[in-house]
Amino acid sequence: MSDRDGADRSITAEALRRDFGKLHAVDGVDLEVPGGQIFGFLGPNGAGKSTLVKILTTILNPTSGRASVGGYDVQRQGGKVREAIGVALQDVGLDPLMTARELLMLQTELFGTPRDEARKTAERLLVTVGLDDVDPKKRAGAYSGGMKRRLDLALALVHDPRILFLDEPTTGLDPASRAAIWEEVRRLNDDFGMTIFLTTQYLEEADRLADQIAIINKGTIVAQGTPEELKRQVGDEVVELQFGSSDDAERAQDALAPVAPNRQRSNRELRLYFGRAAENVPELVRVLDGAGISLQGLTIEQPSLDDVFLRVTGEALEHEVDEGADDVPAGAEVRS
Amino acid sequence: MNDTVLLIGRSLRNTMREPATILPNIAISVFFLFVYNSGLSSVAELPGFQGTYLGFILPVAIVSAAVGGAGLAGQTLIKDIDNGYFTKLLLTPTRRLSVIWGPMIASAIVLTAQVVLVMLIALALGLKVAAGPLGFALVVVLAFLWGMAFAGYAAFMALKTKNAAAAQAATFAFFPLIFLSYTFVPKEYVTAGWLKVAATINPTTYVFDSMRSLLNTGWDSTSLIVGFAVTLGFATLTGIMALWAARGATKMS
Repeated sequence: MSDRDGADRSITAEALRRDFGKLHAVDGVDLEVPGGQIFGFLGPNGAGKSTLVKILTTILNPTSGRASVGGYDVQRQGGKVREAIGVALQDVGLDPLMTARELLMLQTELFGTPRDEARKTAERLLVTVGLDDVDPKKRAGAYSGGMKRRLDLALALVHDPRILFLDEPTTGLDPASRAAIWEEVRRLNDDFGMTIFLTTQYLEEADRLADQIAIINKGTIVAQGTPEELKRQVGDEVVELQFGSSDDAERAQDALAPVAPNRQRSNRELRLYFGRAAENVPELVRVLDGAGISLQGLTIEQPSLDDVFLRVTGEALEHEVDEGADDVPAGAEVRS
Repeated sequence: MNDTVLLIGRSLRNTMREPATILPNIAISVFFLFVYNSGLSSVAELPGFQGTYLGFILPVAIVSAAVGGAGLAGQTLIKDIDNGYFTKLLLTPTRRLSVIWGPMIASAIVLTAQVVLVMLIALALGLKVAAGPLGFALVVVLAFLWGMAFAGYAAFMALKTKNAAAAQAATFAFFPLIFLSYTFVPKEYVTAGWLKVAATINPTTYVFDSMRSLLNTGWDSTSLIVGFAVTLGFATLTGIMALWAARGATKMS
């Protein structure tokens, strides 16, 4: 998936940092995104995703560190960067008084395209994002949330960018609109080799689309790799135990410490990570029996990005998981 | 340059789509013209008054039209910032100042049109311009520059506060500037010492003087030089303030 026509489609960041007063919104981020990838940037609300996107897209200066996009330095060569990238931010940027065609044509012309061609581009993109049958007189202010999002995406594509930044492109969308955006992102990547830098709060979105994922928490990247690599870090298989109460789940968590060192609890569920889950199940049941804790359900599944996320963002980890679990991969433990 | 033209066109089109943003301002200017001209026209009968009262009060209506029109620049910028379109424009290779120049020049065009409209109404009411057609044009130029000076101020407030209500409130500074001057009667008939002090400090006084000389008495180089100097000085000051605020707003450093 290297750059097709010799054009640089990569994104790099070195020790990138942005402070807002005392808050370190982005706190020393290093990134290396090869050209042609779909790169998923995952993190809870307020983790620093949008700030990072704003720095990479030249609308916010970093406090320190450097970054380059498409081979150009974001601070010193902002104009070059903007020619190479398309951007759809989390908050759409539409003038409510203008129609979709007017917005698309103006945006296209501002990228230096002559008017006639800009008109064709506008029509083509309206088809691409499925807004071609909307009343041409309808102003953007009267569009629904999903339509605004699609129009905003079209505005990001007017100059056939080499690199596309999408900041939470599907947040707040219904499942059908979400699926349509996913399909479009895939197609842009497949057909044009466009590098796509996508931030999201949805694990499923990252899992489905991204070649590589980075997880950001409190301004720092806490995990990075392919979805498969990340999942393997928590273990090969998960045993999920369901209890009648969170009290039971908590007691089970303590009781199972010796036999399942790697585990996370959320409410009434306890997830245990193993190399091979099935062979551990009899032991688990015995321990729970001995402790007098009744089990409501048990399932064996593959680890999901949820597991990874829970583990690296520390929310559940800090309180619920045994400290030793952090550095001992579950799989290794069981296999030995 | 081409980008600036495109952005001016867009702002003008938007203004046409929301006539409510300019109509009140035109109405206020025309109101000044009719009400004070008919209510206070006997001032012209005072001994020593030169020209007509219409020529005397018209600059008040013109400056009100210009200053009100200038507020539009700030409003447009605030709207763009609020709805995110400002950022969308910053993401194009457009020179970043064009994103600010576009709405500012558009509002200058709108305010000039308003000024010309008010002056045409005055001509219909029987105005004779003492300095002739060139004098008429110079009054428009003065109004345009004075409007730009306020557009700079409005843009500065908009970019600094990024808040529609605050920018709107800032435009109320226009009121004392219009009324703390020899607004309704010539200097010779004002007896209140405090008003004389205020009028001397108030730059609008010199704009009124220049316009009135052109409309009522003809060519008066001293009053013209002072009027243009004050206007250009004020426009330069607010222009620098606006550029400074624009640099902060577009670089977001």
